[in-house]
Amino acid sequence: MKTKTKALIAGGVWMAIIILLLVIFGSEGKNEEFQPQNEFKLHPWLSIHIGSVDLSINRAVFYLVLTAGLTIGTMVWIAKKMQQRPNRTQVAVEMAYELAKNNITRGNMSAEVATRWFPFIGGLFFFILFSNLIGYLPLPTNTGEHFNVFGLEIPTFAIYAATANISIPIVLTLVVWVSYHVEGVRAKGFVPYLKSWLPPGLENMSAIGRGAIFLIEVVSHLVRLVSLSVRLFANMLAGHLLLLFMGGGLAVLLGIAALGALTFPLAFAFFIFEVGLVATLQAFIFSTLSAIYIGGATSAEH
Amino acid sequence: MDLPSITAATEAITGEDVKGAGKAIALGVGAGLGSIGAGIGIGFIFGKEIESVARQPEMKSDLESIRWLGFALTEAVAFYTFIFGLIAFFLS
Repeated sequence: MKTKTKALIAGGVWMAIIILLLVIFGSEGKNEEFQPQNEFKLHPWLSIHIGSVDLSINRAVFYLVLTAGLTIGTMVWIAKKMQQRPNRTQVAVEMAYELAKNNITRGNMSAEVATRWFPFIGGLFFFILFSNLIGYLPLPTNTGEHFNVFGLEIPTFAIYAATANISIPIVLTLVVWVSYHVEGVRAKGFVPYLKSWLPPGLENMSAIGRGAIFLIEVVSHLVRLVSLSVRLFANMLAGHLLLLFMGGGLAVLLGIAALGALTFPLAFAFFIFEVGLVATLQAFIFSTLSAIYIGGATSAEH
Repeated sequence: MDLPSITAATEAITGEDVKGAGKAIALGVGAGLGSIGAGIGIGFIFGKEIESVARQPEMKSDLESIRWLGFALTEAVAFYTFIFGLIAFFLS
């Protein structure tokens, strides 16, 4: 049988299942009980309140600790059992390490600054990469809902990531933002660093014009705070929402069983897209932009 | 003009259903228009990259990392609008 015939038969069977479900079950009307935003709610597992500060242990904290542990554990484990003839895992980790060292860090700053800042940039890259990848493993963490296995109450499986919560990207961004300014001031001194924000070629401009351009530069530095953090957060959240809706959320919400059969294969396609491209790319982008900011703050010319 | 019909119309405008419809429109139009811009941008990046590689094939490896940087920066724009649409839908 030719591949084309097989594909046609598979597509036909798929369509038949969808039509069958549509005929048998039809539409049950809009489901008011299912609230998609509850999938991202943080239930406190262990309430800790110090004054008015809420330090409760919840899902996001669990993912944060899990990611940090896994990042450190993997890298230390690989470093401990280095071999002359590397196996596949070692090759993969070495490739990621090379990427972080040569491409991301060294490609965007001078050799001296790169030696000083590679641990930070590399740590950032691996932390975000692991966080994003764990985010696509369904773990039993949704304590809002339970299901029974032989009388055992188990929380529902759900996907979540530390980086899909705005707090983690914003803290990472703040660390990067403060540290590149500090590094710039350390390399050039306070006033020359502020002067270096102005693009070159404005020597003949009046003081007012230069002041206006300086104001625009100040705004652009502040916007970096928003763009860097929201980019990571929004990519992860949108990916998780997409998987939630495609993997059955839409069918439950609208009460149409046939829609679930239609969207479920799409969930697989999006899953591969998210894991294969977006998770890695966002870690790459975040660390590359951090490296560009630090490199730009310390470079002599410009 | 008869006043009861105006009162009825005002009630319809301020009702819960209309509010929900407005939120749905905010999410749909916001995310949809944002995707248009990002779609054009991503197409532009990959189109230009193909053009450059066709002109200078030896630059392929250099262009690769710049391509992904541009792709991710542009793609994020779609998600900004999407997130603000979600905020309008769920949190307002």
